[in-house]
This record gives sequence, C-alpha cells and structure tokens, in this order.
Amino acid sequence: MRAPALSTILKFALFFAAVVVIALLPRFMGEFRLSQFTFVALYFIALLGLNILTGYNGQISLGHGAFMGIGAYVSAVLSLGRPGLELYQLDPPGWLPLGDGMTPVFTIPIAGLVTGVVGVLFGIPALRLAGVSLALATFAMAVSLPTVAKRFDSVTGGGGGLSLTLPETPFGWDISTRHWLYYEAWATAGILFVVAWVMVRGRLGRAWRSIRDGEVAAVSSGVSPALYKTLAFGVSSFYAGVAGALLVIEVSFVNPDTFPVGLSILLLASAVIGGLGALTGVIFGALVLEFLPVYAENPPLLPFDFSTQAPSVVFGAALILIMLLLPGGFAGLLRMLAGVFNGAVRRLTEGGRPMPTSPTRRQG
Amino acid sequence: MRKLLLAGALVALLAGLSTATAAPELTTAPTATPGVTSKTITIGGTFPLSGGASFYAPIPRGMKAYFSYINRRRAKDGRRGVYGRQIVWKFYDDGYNPANTVQQTNKLILQDKVFAVVGSLGTEHNQAIRPLLNSRKIPQLMVTTGASFWGTQADVFPWTTGWQPDYISEGKVYAKWVVANKPGAKIAIFYQNDDYGKDYLNGFKQGLGNRTNLIVSEQSYEVTDTSYASQIVRQRGSGANVWVLLTTPTPTVRAIGTARALGWRPEQIIINSVSATDGVMKSAVANAGAAFVNGAVSTGYLKNPSNPKYRRDAAVRQYNRLMTKYGPAGANRADTFYYYGFAKGYDFVKLLYLAGPNLTRASIMKATKKINWFNPYMIKGVQSKTTAKDHFVLDQFKLLRFNDGSWSEISNLFKGR
Amino acid sequence: MADFIQQVVSGLASGAIYASLALALVLIYRATDVVNFAQGEMATFATYIAWSLMDHGLSYWPAFVLTLVLAFIGGAGVERVLIRPVEHRPEIVIVIVTIGLLILLNGLTGWIWGAEVKAFDSPFPNETWEVGGVALSVVDIGTLGICLLTVLALWAFFRFTTLGLVMRAVANNPTASRLQGVRVGWMLALGWGLAAVLGAVAGMMAAPTLFLDPSMMLIVLIYAFAAAVLGGIDSPLGAVVGGLTLGVLLNLLGAYVDFVGSELRLPTALLVLLAVLLIRPQGLFGHAVVRRV
Repeated sequence: MRAPALSTILKFALFFAAVVVIALLPRFMGEFRLSQFTFVALYFIALLGLNILTGYNGQISLGHGAFMGIGAYVSAVLSLGRPGLELYQLDPPGWLPLGDGMTPVFTIPIAGLVTGVVGVLFGIPALRLAGVSLALATFAMAVSLPTVAKRFDSVTGGGGGLSLTLPETPFGWDISTRHWLYYEAWATAGILFVVAWVMVRGRLGRAWRSIRDGEVAAVSSGVSPALYKTLAFGVSSFYAGVAGALLVIEVSFVNPDTFPVGLSILLLASAVIGGLGALTGVIFGALVLEFLPVYAENPPLLPFDFSTQAPSVVFGAALILIMLLLPGGFAGLLRMLAGVFNGAVRRLTEGGRPMPTSPTRRQG
Repeated sequence: MRKLLLAGALVALLAGLSTATAAPELTTAPTATPGVTSKTITIGGTFPLSGGASFYAPIPRGMKAYFSYINRRRAKDGRRGVYGRQIVWKFYDDGYNPANTVQQTNKLILQDKVFAVVGSLGTEHNQAIRPLLNSRKIPQLMVTTGASFWGTQADVFPWTTGWQPDYISEGKVYAKWVVANKPGAKIAIFYQNDDYGKDYLNGFKQGLGNRTNLIVSEQSYEVTDTSYASQIVRQRGSGANVWVLLTTPTPTVRAIGTARALGWRPEQIIINSVSATDGVMKSAVANAGAAFVNGAVSTGYLKNPSNPKYRRDAAVRQYNRLMTKYGPAGANRADTFYYYGFAKGYDFVKLLYLAGPNLTRASIMKATKKINWFNPYMIKGVQSKTTAKDHFVLDQFKLLRFNDGSWSEISNLFKGR
Repeated sequence: MADFIQQVVSGLASGAIYASLALALVLIYRATDVVNFAQGEMATFATYIAWSLMDHGLSYWPAFVLTLVLAFIGGAGVERVLIRPVEHRPEIVIVIVTIGLLILLNGLTGWIWGAEVKAFDSPFPNETWEVGGVALSVVDIGTLGICLLTVLALWAFFRFTTLGLVMRAVANNPTASRLQGVRVGWMLALGWGLAAVLGAVAGMMAAPTLFLDPSMMLIVLIYAFAAAVLGGIDSPLGAVVGGLTLGVLLNLLGAYVDFVGSELRLPTALLVLLAVLLIRPQGLFGHAVVRRV
C-alpha cells in the first residue's frame, strides 16, 4: 500500500516551522555549534544541487566537490580583487575581469553563475555519456581539479592557495560576525530551497524526472533530453558553486587540498542517505555530512575513540545498507513513517470505518 | 485533522532534534585567561592523523607522552605539572585539509577554550588559521612546518611563532656544502611539486648563489605519480653526479629504488632531513642495497634516538623510558616523529615556565622573544634562541652522513640564516 | 635511444599493472554489466592480507597463492551478498553500492592495519639486466611477466575449459543459459571471484613500488578505468592493450613533452578517458552500442 503524499498545506507548515527553528537556534547554541550549522547550510545547498542532477534527473555526478571548488576560487578571487592578488605576488592575466575587491556576499551569485556556466559546458559533452560513463567522467574532473588549480597558480595561488581577510558583517549592520555568517548561509539556503522546490514541482521537474525514468519515452513525449539534461547540470553546478563560495567565506581560505576527491564521494553518499529524488531528506543528508565524522570518531556516550577511519566505515556501510534495504534514503523513511502515522491516525479518528480517499486532498 | 496532527508531530520531532543537537554550551566560570585555571592549562593543535600525510601523526602523540611525564613528575619547586598546573593537551585530525583545520581550530578555541594553539601542522593549514587566531589574540605557537615566513612576518602576525629550522635554511646548507666539498659537481634535483619541495628548492638555489649553473637537471613529481621512472631516466641521462632529493619519506624510498632499478648510481646523494629517518633509510637499504645508500648526506638538529652513538645519552634514555611508560601502546620508538614531539614538548614546557606563574597570553608571547636555552634532545650546541629581532627559534644544523645503518655528524654547526 | 627504450620498458611495467586491474573491471562488466568502483579497494584489501600473511611468517609465494584463493572467495562473496540483491535495480543503485563498498573498504583497511605506509616485498630482486646498453629493471620485467601470465591463464581458462565456455555463454545470453540449466548466479559469482584474483595480482605487483597504504590503488584505479575505456569496456584484449598503451604513452609524454611533465600525467590520462568516451565510446576493441532516439 503506498503511503499517501503529504498535502501542500502540511509542507508549508513544516517549512515555516523549520524557518522558525533555524532562526531561533542561535539563541541556544554557542559559537562553535553555530559554525558547524553554517556548514550544514552550505552542504544543504550543495546537496540540493546534487539531488537535482542525480536524484531528479538521473545523471550520476562524482564531481560535485570540484564544482564547489570552482565556486570557492571564483569567490575568493573576486573578494581579493586584482590588488589583493598582487599582494600575494600573483600575476593574473590582464583579460580577467577582476575588480578591486568585492564585498564577499556579492561574490556568491557570481560564483554560482560562473560555476553554472562551467556545468553547462560540462553537461554538453556529457550528453553522450550515460550512467557509469558519466560517473567516471565526473570522477575524473574531481580528481583533476587540485592539479589544475596548482597549474594555473597565477590566479589560484597554486598549492599555497588564497587567504582572505577575516569575514566581517557588511554594510555596518549590528550583528556579530558569527551570526551574520550563519544567517547569510541559511538565508541563501532557504531561498535556493524554495527555488528548487518550485523547479521540481513544475515543468522542469517533470521533464527531468521523465528523462530519468526513460529517456526514449521522454523523447516521444516531446521532451528534449539535450536541453533538460544540460540545464540540470547547469542548475546543479550553480548550487554547488554557491555552496563553495559560502565555504570560502566561512573559512577565509582556499587551496587545492580544500576540495579533495573524498568530498565529491561523500557528497554523493550524503545525497543518497538523505534520499535521492526528494527534497525532504536533503537536510538530513547535510546533517550527516557535517556531524557523522565527528560522532563516528568520538561517539558521545562511549569512553573511547574509534579510529579516524570510523567515519569512512560508517558512510560506506550506510550507503550499502540503504541501497539494499531502503533505497529512498531518509526521505523514503519519512514517507513510510508518514504512511504508517497516517494510517494509525485514520483508524483513531475514523473509528475503523473505511474512509474514502479525500477528493479534495491536494497533491504534494 | 489528521494532517494537522501529523504536522504537529513532525514539527515537534524537528524541534526536538535541533535542540538536542544544539546542546547549549557548558557555562564555565569565566577566568581571566581562557584555558588557564589554578590547576590546568589547556592547549590544543591540529594534525593530519589520517590520510596521506598521516606519517606525521606521531608528533602530537610524542608531545602527549612528554606532557604526561611533566604532569606526573615533581619539578624543582616540588609541584607537578608547570607551576602546579596540569597540561591538558587536545589534538584533532584535520586530514591535511585546511578547511578542516579551520573547523577543528574553531572547536579548540570556541568549545575547548584553549589557552593557546600549539604545534599545528601544515603550511597552508597554519596560514588558514593565522588571521583568525591573531585577530582574537590567541597564541599560535611553535607551528609544525618548515615554511619560513613565520619568522619573517612576525610584525604582521605577532601572535604566531615558528619553531623548527625552516626548509629554505636547510636547502641553503646543502648547497653550501656541495660547493665547498664537491668541486666537479653536476647537480640533479628531484623535488616534490608543492610548497614543501619548492621551498627546499628555493633555499638550495639561494645557497648556490651565482653557481646555479651547477644544476644540470631539475625534475619534479606529483604525490599521485605511480612511477618516477620517467623523471629519473632523464636525470640519469643528464650526467649528474650529485643527486638532491627534496621529497617526503615514502617518495624518497621509491626514488632511490627506482634509480637502482634503472642502474643509476650517482656519486653523492643528498636526502632532506624530513626523509632521513631511520625507517626510510632501512627501507631504502632493503630496496636498493647498502652500497647504494651508504654515503648519503643529510642534516639534523635533533639527536637520532636509534643512533648507537647516543645509546648512553641521558636525553635519549629518558625518551625511551618515557615512551615506554607514557607513549601509545606498541609505538615504534625509532620513529623520529615521536622524538620530535618530545623535543617540541620540552621547549614548550620551558616556555611555559618562562612565562611565569601568572600565566596570561600576553606573558607567554613576551616569553617567546626571550628564548635562550639548550634543549637536551637536540644535537649538542644547537640552541633554542630568539630575540626581539630574531624570531627563528632554531636555525642550526649539523651535516650528517649515512653509513652502515646509522648517521654520523660530519661537520660543525651550520647556521641556516 | 637507450633512454627511450628504458622509458618504454618502464611504461610497459606500469601499464601491466593498469592492464591487470582494467581486465578485472572488464571481466565484471562483461559478466554482470556492472562497473565496479570498488575494484581498486578490493585489490588493496587483498594485498594487505598478503602483507599480514608474510608478517606472520609465510614466505612470498605461498602467501601470494593463498591471497589469490582468499581474494577469489572474497570477490565471489561480494557478488552474492551485495550485488545479487540489487542486480535488477536501476544502474545508479548498483553504482552506488560499489561506491559504498569503495568507501567501506578504504576505511576498513585503515582501521584494521593502520594508516601508516608499509613496505611490501617484491619477489624479484632489485637488480638490472644489461641488454644491449639498456639497463632493464628485473622488477619491471618480472611485473610484466606475472601480469601477462595471469592474463594468459585467464584466457586459456575461458577458451579451453568447459567452465570458461559456460561463463562466456552466461555473459552473452543469461536467459538462454538459464534455460539450458546453467546456474547463472554461480557463474556471476565466479566472474567476480576471478576479477578479484586479477585485482589481487595487480595490487601485489604494485605494492613494492607504491608502498602499501589504504589508498594505494585509488590512483591506479583511475588509470585502469582510462585503460579499460580506451581498450573497450567489454573487451578483455582491449583492457590489456589499453593498459600497456596507456602506461607507455604517459611515460613518454611525461618524459618528452614538457608541457605535460609529471604534473599533468594524471589529467592527461583522464583526458584520454574523456576523449574516448566522447569520440569512440566503444574504445579500440569494444562493440558499439547503438541507441537511436
């Protein structure tokens, strides 16, 4: 028996509740927790993008860490501007449109756009690749990024990377920098979540899903795979670029080691754990990505430390188990629970009488 | 109706989850100096405990063993620890990723509220946290990296200090030695293509001065290379008779093995100090034969605990004793990175004493400008010294030559700067 | 000229290792239509087992053979336990399972044996043979020899034994084979087992040079992918030719083309991978899959 979809009202209520909770969290948390939750926000954005590409559109990407890296470098370079880069004895090519240094928050959309364009450029040849081949190609990209970043060191600062000045609350606003970073990340996450939601609910999402579920059939329905698949790449990498920009703003540093291959692999793993093809589980994936390494190594109630390898073991095992037992990931679990809960409530409130399916129930 | 119940349940679940994870910070009584109480001093650092650079992992563990000893023994004033304060040493894994270094350092300063960040490893990693720590006026002491700009940028970042002799100094020393001792030298350099290798390379070239024409081959390698044959065949073809290895431990063994396999035996091999460990030399001998490896030259400032010459040395014996008692179970005492940790621990403890019983962040930074002593773990004559102008704690080396399983000192002390 | 021959021989030796791992990938792909992202980690795990055996006193060749046996069992086990349940699911599911296995094995290896690099003996002495002015490394030649021998043994198995014939039939047409009474499931497990053996050989040949650490085969895996794709993901001959070619090509490029140097060798391999995927997806020897839409 399929669990009934949640109604739109319910989802709005949930979203509103989440906004309230996120807005109020800083009152209960110390600075360090806040910084961890800022990371959750940016991982959330990256995972939204990855979910769109892999979950909704069925194109496997093992390279989203690289897209984040591109966004991070763009943001860093723009924040520093030509004068900033020259302070590092870097000599960026004259034709690059570097300004004099930007307020970091404005670099975020630009980083996203640039990364989005790169994504589209990648997506075009990727049209010829399917499934595993695409996974391989994106994996290749993730592995190459550190080397390429080192090679073009007149812009990227090579192995030593780029150091930014410490973040400051801009525009003279009167909130602490830590709070500013938190709200900046979560506000961006919120906006991008709504955008994603609108996209996947609408025509884009339907086109994406129809391509995922059967490209041949999609074509016969008049959907052009080339257009939508490339678009999926572009949108997805835009999100990753934004996440990368937020990361470099948070950390004030970027170098080739900041976005290793492992990150790309873990991003895919977290997307799967959250649940591919659904937006409801993405937040869980983001929480796992940030906190699992911490808790796997030092489990809160146990008196000893596990090996530093414990997070890998847990991630790997979780991935396999989820695919075997619960392919929908956390979102799938929520659906199941919703179905069970729904069923139970129905029995309680209707007193066991069979209830016709509500004709006015809105599809979520 | 039921949807509202469902909504309510899920909201409650979400709120519960988020408040559970957002456990409020434990409130401790605010002290004048964070990390210092009447009974404890809390310090911390970040290190690559996992991943490709994890061969450095024994460093913080060596430091831990040394601090454990300090905490248990009674000092001259009859108290344990430093002025009666126990050293609480926390170290976290950053997997050699600077973004993680920032996160873990945040944990140290925001959650663990350390007094100072000590010995964090990695050039870019320390660079990434330097602005953060300096802006908050938190000491960033004795960073574990051979990059040189800790000493040269002390005015811009006054809260940051280095410790070990830097790679540029070391590179210079090798160059000077070659010029002085190998008149017909044709030099081939094999270096790791990152800041570590390039720093060494720069130092070496600086040391050659106007004799850089002695270099006949410069080849680099990536840490991802599966084979160095391509580069080493070219170095062999250059006719070089001096081979300078500016590499990390495992690649050093691989390079030597490859050279042997390709039938190339340069007259003089120079191995950088990071790679001149007993483990590496043993592997190199196993791989390429003693005849190949004997005669290799390196530098050192620390005593080598496995060197038979130091078997009766008081510091080395203490090291072995303390490692047995306080070191991690099954630790390989011949791993010189544990020893490095001891040496650093020694200097840090002395620094704590120099900062005085009224320990504040300002007092320890003042102390970092007045360092002047001999560390028993160092080769005799090597001095830990700073002044208001000279911020380099250590800058002296002796040249070492490898023969039949051990290193012997073949020169007087060279000053690197 | 001597240097050039040297570069070629060294390239062949590296290439032999890529070829072995690539052949393992192709084997699994032909048998079960799956690209096994965890092939490298399985090889590393097997190599660690060999290391443990030798650490406990076993001498090289007995440890080598025992490791192959254990690898075979392990590979077959992975197929039955992890892949069988998801066989009929969409490709992405299987890919993710193998990625999960990659992550799991990588962590497990580090946990059990520690992350410090370990030395691994080669059965061949580190000497050189002078042949016409060229100093050839005995280790290189030995590596080449062992890998080719293994490939040959496998070829003979598939060509001349009944079991091999049955496996080829299953790979070709599982339904028909089933109708003929073949236990298809066991054939698939057998395929994975043999692939694991190949991987173990690759690992044990690579370990003396690369030194043993949990991520030893990750980079080799990438080269193996490039080789397998270059040769044709469903062609065993292609995997071998692709591997050897790639090894030599990268060595020569790195030596004689300064722009590539050693820095861009890995990206070059990846460029080869991408180029093949885009221009001629079936590789040199594979079969084109036509998909008209």
